[in-house]
Amino acid sequence: MAFPFPRGITPPEIAFLAEMEQVTIVPRQRLEGLKLLGGPVEPLLPPRRATLPLWLALLLKRQRRANIVPPSWLHPEALSLILEIETQHSDYQNAFSPPPPLPGQPSVRDRETQQTPVAVPRYTQDGERYYASPPFLPQNVARDYIPPGEPPSLPYHWLEVGNMLLDAASDDLVDPDQTRRLLKELREVRMAKFRAGTDVLDAAAIGGGGVALTGVGAMEIGEGRGFVTGVVDGLRKIGASKEQARREQMAEDMANGGYGATQDDDDEMEF
Amino acid sequence: MDIDDILASVDRDANIQTPESAILDHQLLTRFWVAERAVSELLPWPASLMDRMMERVRRQIEAIEDLAASSADPTPTTNTNNTTLNLKLSILQTDLARTQYLTRSLLRQRLAKLTKHSMHYLLLISPNHNSQPTQSSQSSQTQQQQPEDSVPTPDDMSNTSPLSPQETSFIHAHQTLLARHYGSSFLGAFPPQLRRLDDNAGGTSMVQGPEGKEAVFVRCLVDEVGVVVPPGDGVEEEMVGTGMRMGDVWVVRWEGVKGAWERGEVEVL
Repeated sequence: MAFPFPRGITPPEIAFLAEMEQVTIVPRQRLEGLKLLGGPVEPLLPPRRATLPLWLALLLKRQRRANIVPPSWLHPEALSLILEIETQHSDYQNAFSPPPPLPGQPSVRDRETQQTPVAVPRYTQDGERYYASPPFLPQNVARDYIPPGEPPSLPYHWLEVGNMLLDAASDDLVDPDQTRRLLKELREVRMAKFRAGTDVLDAAAIGGGGVALTGVGAMEIGEGRGFVTGVVDGLRKIGASKEQARREQMAEDMANGGYGATQDDDDEMEF
Repeated sequence: MDIDDILASVDRDANIQTPESAILDHQLLTRFWVAERAVSELLPWPASLMDRMMERVRRQIEAIEDLAASSADPTPTTNTNNTTLNLKLSILQTDLARTQYLTRSLLRQRLAKLTKHSMHYLLLISPNHNSQPTQSSQSSQTQQQQPEDSVPTPDDMSNTSPLSPQETSFIHAHQTLLARHYGSSFLGAFPPQLRRLDDNAGGTSMVQGPEGKEAVFVRCLVDEVGVVVPPGDGVEEEMVGTGMRMGDVWVVRWEGVKGAWERGEVEVL
């Protein structure tokens, strides 16, 4: 057939997407700037740092033309802190640790002070609004200055970027063995949470309802996609006649002029 | 060609050249590809985005060919010069291959959706198609009724959304061939009134469309987006269910966030 793959991007495609993340490198040789289809690449002048897409950084690294500066979260200290949040923190018993904020979104620390997020759109050439999101946010570049008190967080493509850097650039990382072990532990903890969340999936099978997975990683979605969509669609088909009856009842109530808040009172569920 | 066309082409040329537009278009194409792969129905064809991308790919191929030709030049060049040239070439070619992969995967996914629900999309883009032959013509035509007669012809080629014009002609040719094949292999042996491919006898249409209620993963990109329940089952108005906050990732029904996706307020993961 024209296309044999199942719906939703498959793990190799997620890895392909993760390779678009921007990372910081220290070049070992000069290279003039290039005009790529994904945007221009700045000229490489050793020893000045440069920011490149991950696939290009890996290509240069494999040819020993550059060293990759690991992102701040890919450090044993930051990872053990995240692992602690995932396992010990009472707020995240049934949820993933908070993701890095999107542009315009206050960081987790400031969220209690009720700062409202302001999403600032860019405009496409067709005049539509566009809000940037991973892999096109600088979540994996090395940062010189991290504001004190800002908790480390796992970016959307953490598992893929972490593994690719461990494979190709382990000599550039701080303590690669410890990092590998922590990544594995994080993965296990988070997959256990993902599986434990199966119980509340029926909330997504109702019209207007949904299940929150905030903080989930791309590869974790890729792994669970078949199962989650399968369960939700199965539950929807089982409950279809019930839902239709409820809708018809509601239509009748509305026709009689009395539609109260009988619906969607307890749809909000997190795990 | 009149003056407006020339001005428009100059304008487009200027826009296509800026690095910002290249970055933005690349991000848009990537996001669209992810969405097209995740959603059950065919998404509207982003004509101008694809035109710009194809134009850029064409220029990039030219640039790579020029560079390759200069490296093959027998003029004496120093060795170091040649290695950087080879490196540059391999980077450019990798980048090109990545973009071509995106485009190819996108188009193949669209073709797969189109062929799976071909009659549905053909009916969608031919609003004037008469699904059942009228009473008067029925008596005279029933004897010659062939399966391909039920294939609707897209009459208005200027508005084929969500299909691109090329996809429209593909799907029409595809369905006509398929209907003819069905006709010669087994439908021809049936009574004429049972030969149609869009029969809706008994109130059940045999044309199946994609399921809009299937679950998708989305990320909310603005302050707040509500999951809607579209009108149906006797309830005429749209209702808003759960609210998603900025940065949240949710599993929801596709029909509940389709409008927000069209406004760019959520992205499909």
